[in-house]
Amino acid sequence: MVNQMGIEELEHTADVRIRIRAESHEELFTLASSALFSILYTGDCRIERERELKVSGDNIEDLLWDFLSELLYISEVESFVVCETSVCFIGNDLYATIRGETFHPERHGGGREVKGISYSDLFIREMDSMICSEIIFDI
Amino acid sequence: MLSGITLTGIHEWEVPLGYVPDMRVSGRLFLSETLGEALEEGAARQLANVATLPGIIGHSFGMPDIHWGYGFPIGGVAAFSEDEGIISPGGVGFDINCGVRLIATPLTLGDLTDRTSIITELFKKIPTGVGSKGSLRFSGSALDELLGRGSAYVIEEGLGLPDDALLCEENGHMKDADPDLVSEKARKRGEPQCGTLGSGNHFLELQVVSKIHDPLTAQAFGITEGSICCMIHCGSRGLGHQVCTDHIRNMEKASKRYGIRLPDRQLACAPLTSSEGQNYFGAMAAAANYAWANRQIITHDLRTLFESLFRIDYNEMPLIYDVAHNIAKWEEHIVSGKTQRVCVHRKGATRAFGPGRAELPGKYRDTGQPVIIPGSMGTASFLLAGTETAMQKTFGSTCHGAGRVGSRKAAKKALRGSEVSADLKKQGIIVMAPSGDAIAEEAPSMYKPSEEVVRVVDEAGLSRIIATLMPLGVIKG
Repeated sequence: MVNQMGIEELEHTADVRIRIRAESHEELFTLASSALFSILYTGDCRIERERELKVSGDNIEDLLWDFLSELLYISEVESFVVCETSVCFIGNDLYATIRGETFHPERHGGGREVKGISYSDLFIREMDSMICSEIIFDI
Repeated sequence: MLSGITLTGIHEWEVPLGYVPDMRVSGRLFLSETLGEALEEGAARQLANVATLPGIIGHSFGMPDIHWGYGFPIGGVAAFSEDEGIISPGGVGFDINCGVRLIATPLTLGDLTDRTSIITELFKKIPTGVGSKGSLRFSGSALDELLGRGSAYVIEEGLGLPDDALLCEENGHMKDADPDLVSEKARKRGEPQCGTLGSGNHFLELQVVSKIHDPLTAQAFGITEGSICCMIHCGSRGLGHQVCTDHIRNMEKASKRYGIRLPDRQLACAPLTSSEGQNYFGAMAAAANYAWANRQIITHDLRTLFESLFRIDYNEMPLIYDVAHNIAKWEEHIVSGKTQRVCVHRKGATRAFGPGRAELPGKYRDTGQPVIIPGSMGTASFLLAGTETAMQKTFGSTCHGAGRVGSRKAAKKALRGSEVSADLKKQGIIVMAPSGDAIAEEAPSMYKPSEEVVRVVDEAGLSRIIATLMPLGVIKG
């Protein structure tokens, strides 16, 4: 599933646990979005739609949790397969633009449903001059 | 076994006070030596973390299928007192009332001459996998009815037999459900999905009763050796997942407000007496009702398909029972010699009420409730009965399945879905899923042996083995 630079899948018995290393918070959130959508969907993704979203949080970890939970919601109710994400932070808010296409079972089917983003062991911290995060996706 | 955990009885181990700081009670694990070897340190720590929560009664319990989850371990059980206890979404999980049911049929192996085409028809009929939608859509007042009344509502709409609701834990609906507490987001996710299986470890499996261990109880449960049954495992879909997501944040704030120290953020909780706790309970109960309706609609689809495939009558496919795996409920239990109302959390665990409990349907009141334990794809499933020992030791709880032992990552690295399917086909088991990865991740070798898990609960007295069922064919999401 995930084999993008900066994203590594770690061992977890029941769920999918991801480690992300990025040079900025913007890149980290973009990679986290890629990790989520690479679990959910298979196949190529074409850019045919675009949508904006905003989430607010008291701290950077809450923002990441809210952001991924919101992406999960949008992908499910709007049948949105996301292939590109860009984000910017203004104060306590995150503004994101997601681009992708409508879900087609024949091209995107066969992925794994993500039930939710776990709070357990979720962190974002600086390590070796990189920003590192670990996220558990409940499968 | 991990250091510090000691044997105290038949397959019964103690996780002592102090295993993690601030434990209020000790932990109890039910494991054989073999299963003990596979116990993850993370799972034992999660079991101990639960023991730090306010109002916990007795012990924090781990069933033999325990494994590392988030918040509570999978296979975790804990009861909390009415006045001092808490309720935690982390003790229920994202998939509220994920559960399993077993349906009897009048068919025998001789009727299933072309198993591949039967499984193909089931795969076409029952929506599975990411992005799948049900043939019925429930919105507005219909969704309110479904969330408020669960199984009974969809049965009244013509999607079941009159007795189906009575043959579910809680009679197929939790009366404390409050549809008004289910957010608009959760409703939107739930509207198109009722009657869908989902993905991950969810499945619909055809099985043959291969061995009866207790003929009298088997007779009461309505199964005979050689007969074909159908097992359905799924939950509350996106609606339940969203209810959990909606409330975790509120609960974290509530934990701080009520001064509850959390060893893990996913254990965020609120007092049962608080508005936050009661709001979660009402929404969770509504999601649980959605899950019972979901399994009921899939049952209806199965019955109508089998009517046309085998020319048997809808009424000839009775529900044996339906049990919840991920739930928090008010139950009466004897604590220190007195009957107390407690909130029992079961996360990856099954209620196993023994004989005499008023909650059970009349036909099961002398035997104890049916407990349905699915195996992994290629291994046996079991029908058991609840016991008095479970009432005394584990707040009437037992295991819920085989329990994972290998990660999904390891599965995909070591196995190819097509090879797993081919191996199972050699054993006569037909598997259909939207992708090879879905099959590889759920391969039998990624699970603890179901026979061992069930042997432990039987020997520890938490339930009695009544029958063994072997898989014939399965559809997965």
